[in-house]
Amino acid sequence: MNNGLNILAQGVVTNNIILLQGLGLYALTRYTRDVKTAVKSGVTMICAMLTAALVVWAFQGAVIDSLSVEIGFYLLVGTLSALAWQNILGFDGSLEKGLVDSALVGLLLIMGRDGIAGPTTVGFALSAGLGYLLVLIVMATLRKRLELAPIPKPLRGAPIVLITAGLLAIALMGFRL
Amino acid sequence: MKTIYEGLFSKNPVFGLLLGLVPAVAITYSAYNGLVLGITTGIILVVAVFISSLLKSVVPKGTRPVLHVGVLTILTVIAHSLLLQQNPKVVADLGIFLPLIVVNSFVLYNLDQDQAMKDAVLSAVGNSLGFVLALVVIGVIREFLSFGTVFGTRLLESTLPPLALAGTVPGGMVIVGLLLALYNKITGQGGELHE
Repeated sequence: MNNGLNILAQGVVTNNIILLQGLGLYALTRYTRDVKTAVKSGVTMICAMLTAALVVWAFQGAVIDSLSVEIGFYLLVGTLSALAWQNILGFDGSLEKGLVDSALVGLLLIMGRDGIAGPTTVGFALSAGLGYLLVLIVMATLRKRLELAPIPKPLRGAPIVLITAGLLAIALMGFRL
Repeated sequence: MKTIYEGLFSKNPVFGLLLGLVPAVAITYSAYNGLVLGITTGIILVVAVFISSLLKSVVPKGTRPVLHVGVLTILTVIAHSLLLQQNPKVVADLGIFLPLIVVNSFVLYNLDQDQAMKDAVLSAVGNSLGFVLALVVIGVIREFLSFGTVFGTRLLESTLPPLALAGTVPGGMVIVGLLLALYNKITGQGGELHE
């Protein structure tokens, strides 16, 4: 139970995949225009992360003794899972505008690097996905507020989104202490 | 020449098109890391664009994303193995961000462009140079602020502690955000995302 809570807290707060690992910034700048898009993107990503984690778990018994083959395996599982789910849930079919971003593949590579195995793989993916969804919703809500703020023109759009995300991330860093 | 200029300055992938933000924020705490990742990404992109242009006529449009993923995965795994043999330290420093070249939005954006082979390769070269330039600029600023060094060389002897936050991901987000605003101010852009 404690282990589950620990994984959840790490994924959502102390090791948040967007704010503290720096992954998924494409989604942070593109899919936070409104809450609806943020939720759709976040839910699609959770589905893709869970699918990829299940595939990785299923193949963990297979002997992969080469680092390059292992990396290639994570890259293929991550990208194909994201491609499949973005088509199922009606995202743009192209690679660049879809959900094939660094959050999903990055998560698999982190799990491989840290030796996450067994059912923990799925719990790790779920908590990372929830952290991803939470950040997108918070940022979409903040952007609505920022639209009303008197922000100088060069700072509008992506610059203020990144600066706000950076400040949020610094706040989350406080929970690591 | 115009394509190269556009890639470097007026349509810089990071500052102008907001692509490849993950490496720009995550690994540029050192200028050397930025340079190595930028060059590796550029070489992989140019080769991938060349191969993808060759195979374009025989692969149906709907399945091209899978082709791109396959080509990029093979090239990235080869680059990872070669770099690991040549310079294991930099591979350890870049960590997961070296394999993540496969899903770098800057690479995917360039592969998605429907151009003739010569134009596509030229555009990839120009954009890659712009990407390297952006990563090095961000890397120099962050490394100087966080460690007081540039490419490992100490520039200022000061008793003041360096701004360690600049070397973290949150610090990187703030610095890249401020640099984007500066770019917008210089180029007269800004106001919304350029999609």
